[in-house]
Amino acid sequence: MPYNIAMISDNFFPQPGGVESHMYQLSSKLIDRGHKVIIITHAYSGRTGVRYLTNGLKVYHVPFFVIYRETTFPTVFSFFPIFRNIVIREQIEIVHGHASLSSLCHEAILHARTMGLRTVFTDHSLFGFADAASILTNKLLKFTLSDVDHVICVSHTCKENTVLRASLDPLMVSVIPNAVVAENFRPLSHTSSHSSHHRDAPGPPPRLGPHDTITIVVISRLFYNKGTDLLIAALPRILACNPNVRFIIAGTGPKAIDLEQMIERNVLQDRVTLLGPVRHEEVRDVMVRGHIYLHPSLTEAFGTVIVEAASCGLYVVCTRVGGIPEVLPRHMTEFAKPEEDDIVAATGRAIAALRAGKVRTELFHNQVKQMYSWTDVAQRTERVYDGISGVLSHDEFYQGAGAGGGWSATRGRAGVQSFALIERLKRYYGCGIWAGKLFCLCVIVDYLLFVCLEIFAPRSRIDLARNWPKKDFKDAKDKEVDGTKEGPVIGRKRSARHRREKREDSS
Amino acid sequence: MSSTLSTLTAAQNLASASIPDPDRLAPEDAYYKSPPRRPRQRSPLGLAPGDGIALSARKRREKERGRSTNGRRKANYKKLLWFKQPFPDNYTDEETFLDHLQRNPRLQPYEFWSLMADSTVIVQHIASVAIFCCCFVAIAQDRVPPVSVVSWASLCTVLGWALWDYWMGQEEAEAAKATSSPPGFPPSGYNPPYVDSTSSLSPRNQQRLATAKSGLLIYAAVLGLSPILKSLTRSTTPDSIWAISTWLLCMNVAFFDYGGGTGAHLPASISTNSALMASTVLASRLPSTTHVFSLTLFSIEVFGLFPIFRRQLRSISWHGHLALTIVLVISACGGVFVTLTGGGRAACIAGVILGGILTFFAMGICSWWLIGLQKYKNEIHGPWDPARPVIRRRWD
Repeated sequence: MPYNIAMISDNFFPQPGGVESHMYQLSSKLIDRGHKVIIITHAYSGRTGVRYLTNGLKVYHVPFFVIYRETTFPTVFSFFPIFRNIVIREQIEIVHGHASLSSLCHEAILHARTMGLRTVFTDHSLFGFADAASILTNKLLKFTLSDVDHVICVSHTCKENTVLRASLDPLMVSVIPNAVVAENFRPLSHTSSHSSHHRDAPGPPPRLGPHDTITIVVISRLFYNKGTDLLIAALPRILACNPNVRFIIAGTGPKAIDLEQMIERNVLQDRVTLLGPVRHEEVRDVMVRGHIYLHPSLTEAFGTVIVEAASCGLYVVCTRVGGIPEVLPRHMTEFAKPEEDDIVAATGRAIAALRAGKVRTELFHNQVKQMYSWTDVAQRTERVYDGISGVLSHDEFYQGAGAGGGWSATRGRAGVQSFALIERLKRYYGCGIWAGKLFCLCVIVDYLLFVCLEIFAPRSRIDLARNWPKKDFKDAKDKEVDGTKEGPVIGRKRSARHRREKREDSS
Repeated sequence: MSSTLSTLTAAQNLASASIPDPDRLAPEDAYYKSPPRRPRQRSPLGLAPGDGIALSARKRREKERGRSTNGRRKANYKKLLWFKQPFPDNYTDEETFLDHLQRNPRLQPYEFWSLMADSTVIVQHIASVAIFCCCFVAIAQDRVPPVSVVSWASLCTVLGWALWDYWMGQEEAEAAKATSSPPGFPPSGYNPPYVDSTSSLSPRNQQRLATAKSGLLIYAAVLGLSPILKSLTRSTTPDSIWAISTWLLCMNVAFFDYGGGTGAHLPASISTNSALMASTVLASRLPSTTHVFSLTLFSIEVFGLFPIFRRQLRSISWHGHLALTIVLVISACGGVFVTLTGGGRAACIAGVILGGILTFFAMGICSWWLIGLQKYKNEIHGPWDPARPVIRRRWD
């Protein structure tokens, strides 16, 4: 049963970033699976109105006032009329919000629940509990997620964080990782086999001698939380300990000046190459110039870039923070504590392992291709949609929930949340002594607004948008089953689909 | 919703299995920080009310499921993303879920008397603000000649500076002894910026000269500015002046830098600025330029220089700090009572006794209250916090 899904976030193309590409890839894969997906974001300069992307993905750029770093001004109710219009025009059934700092997403989830739609929220980032900004964001998140149907997190650490931040039932939170488009991150040997065999570029040769140059690549925005301070401290020591090592550093940010100063002070210009900002399409071309990828980040929910590096056939040295330890298997990574000494030591170990030929980096690409794919992500997301809309039964979706007695407040009997206003108010009321009452007030106003809109702008006067003409659903499905045959075995997900198909056949 | 909240508390329970009441911490809990991993007694999901029942319920479930899915569940759950686990995505493992959660990892329980000792810093500052206010009232009501106030204050300032200079000399000598650097080099890395190496005077004498120079400069500047300050807010009504100055002094108390740390760095500038602005505003209520000059200079001494001296004294001698606190409290209480009642010596003595007792009890009650509030402290740390980088050298 195909769904009509609206993805909502403040962050979308043309702005580059992880959330943006996640939304785009997930949407296009869901379209491939026969669903209808639209994206709602705010208007960027030069991007207004409705646009179509590849695959018939429709993007609504809603005109909104942007305050800070492409985040819209949070006005709790002003988004409702246009949101309702879009939802009715496109016959949306599921509203899927992304990124916890996007006010558009939070507002959309609130309005969607008022309109009686299913909602999903994907959290892409980690937050602490200490500083004032986090406390405020967490309260806001609690408000929105009090009445959401399901939450998706990109790593287990992210799930723990979100469960604590928003006081959620852990069974309401799924972990679905990000993925990479492995075809875009091929190691050099793959392409050179097609074109020229005798290239001088430092591709991964079968074995590195003790005097061959090893290149370490760092691609990150040069911010404090990306660990640039650690990089600045560790880099000269790594170069001093290991001769025949070079660095390529790409990216820019406020710490770039510190980095340049360090290079000048230690006279390392001939061993460190600074590339400046690099577009996402060029990342692969930079990565394949190296052998080791160094990722000294201080916090990271998932760390897509290390998966991309491994896919390019680089050995990864990274700090053991956030969700990073979950992302790659041991044989692809060397972990370090976020300390200068340990990073130097870990990089030394990685260089020694490469020189000894212990690491089979040429196999990494195919392994990563089997671990992470957007098709898989789309399948797993589809299971979430099935669960919240009642296609999967309660017991099947919330496995391990026991008799379900303890969870009646968060979930209705059918495994899906009730839309009754009084039930929703009950959920919001528990958010806090003062906040609970404030949230209830907001919800009631939102409901009244909805009733007003129904009277003054009735549904019958809103035109329905015509769907993008697409290939037959059957064809797409067949093609995909073929695709999964040659890919990894995805027993669990496919079984869910098969079961449903069987059910459809029998009915 | 209440059960959602209980999820949170239940989820937090497991990190502190040894604590009987998970929501209330006793100060001694800090000693049991990060208890060793042990098999969980309670299910983090709160699946079943009792301890043993959860386990048996889980086993039963597994048995039932094993029948239907041919024991696919037997595989171990791991907190990893890169391989496909035989569990649904929203599966929550009871053993590993939130296993790195830490609650109050760096909790330091307060002790009553150390809190009392620390609260003297705040008492000192409030007392000096009170003394300033009393002096203003006395000057404004012509009970005390303004010149005598500022002369006494300046005398104290000069004495304090001499003492401070003596301490600096001692510190330098100690530093020189500790490093025992060869002669000809400055004893430590610290080099005063205004020291001229070609001068015949020693660095310390040059520093003294510079201090005297800047003191003279401030004196002259205040002298020159007094007529302007006097008429600056003359046209504002007294009501507004009292309200503004009260607020500014409250800001001064609120934003003052009560932290320890030696060194003569100025306290937080917002606090000093608000106090000086309060004195400027108040100065317009005074009759003559001499009054204005005295009050402004006095405020610079009380709010600008005195905190530096107090900070240094506290780091050097605890007994001196205590003595200064007592002197300040006595003079503040006496001054306030005399100002309020307008009486003579009897009011002063009564005020000192009453005020002293009141201050002591206020300190005690506040400290006790703070200790009582500690059990509500709930700091959550985990792998999602940004790591603190450990860097040996700084490239600055």
